[in-house]
Amino acid sequence: MTISTYLRALGLFYRTVAPFAVVFSLLIFAAAAAGPFPNWPLPLSLGLLLTKLSTFSVIWYLSEQLRPHQYWLYLNLHIAPWQLWAGVVVADTLLFSAVVLLLHALLQ
Amino acid sequence: MSPASSHILEADGIQLAFGERRILSDVYLRVQTGQVVGLLGRNGCGKSTLLQTVFGGRHLADASVRVNGQRVVPAYRQPGLLNYLPQVPLLPERLTLAEAARMLRVDAEQALADFPDLRAQLSRRVGELSGGTTRLVQVLLLLHANTRFSLFDEPFSGVMPVHVETLSDLFRQAKTRKGIVLTDHRYAEVLPLCDVVYLLHGGRLEQLPPDPEPALRDRGYLAG
Repeated sequence: MTISTYLRALGLFYRTVAPFAVVFSLLIFAAAAAGPFPNWPLPLSLGLLLTKLSTFSVIWYLSEQLRPHQYWLYLNLHIAPWQLWAGVVVADTLLFSAVVLLLHALLQ
Repeated sequence: MSPASSHILEADGIQLAFGERRILSDVYLRVQTGQVVGLLGRNGCGKSTLLQTVFGGRHLADASVRVNGQRVVPAYRQPGLLNYLPQVPLLPERLTLAEAARMLRVDAEQALADFPDLRAQLSRRVGELSGGTTRLVQVLLLLHANTRFSLFDEPFSGVMPVHVETLSDLFRQAKTRKGIVLTDHRYAEVLPLCDVVYLLHGGRLEQLPPDPEPALRDRGYLAG
């Protein structure tokens, strides 16, 4: 497996997981803006990152239940499921952090 | 890998049960370069599970997969060792045929050379193709990939009869450089292709005689 193959595979896989990730990110934003303890615009904190990271277990579960055969192409590219999920967690958390920082800068 | 080099893939110790129902019971499977091995059996007898276990996509405790005597578990992690076509669609619908070939490191023009109508569709997305065409493309890409072994779960499923004949010829050509295991219910197409035939029945894998048809007929797998 080369880096380019991995990145191409990760891009493909991320697109299948992205809808779930976006929904959970929006839920975090909604809870911060309209929840019982409003904190808007959200500051980027350790607690926020841990909350975001905790959503991946649910995303993983939903993905496994809804697409039980999603890994065969990637296995044929010698990529294990954990390698895909590691890339998704890193990429999506970075994207989420960037959005939080951007919103914070724009709204404060 | 030089064309003359020969490799042996062996799998054994594979056991699987769902509750009281034993699916696979201490199975031994062997395939070597130059062979097409047919894996036959009824629906739900464990053929797909066996192929997935050999490939490494399904982990079963005690399962041992070896190539030339060396343990390779999970086998899919070894570049150039083997590939696997599942019964379900392999390629995402948004991928073009050309992109899929590039990811699998296959020369698409060469892989589709015997199917001119497919070559003209290289820039199309998988989701735009019919089920049979998608199946055919997937088989061709994996067959032409530079691996020592290929495992195919129902490669002829949905493929037009006129293409099945050409595809069978390509299997015969491909076995000169790799070992192939395939399972399919289209026995009329599969049996003439196979050098070795295994029957998975009651959880046990039995190697049939060189002319397997009488044994299959006796057991009700072929019409009299």
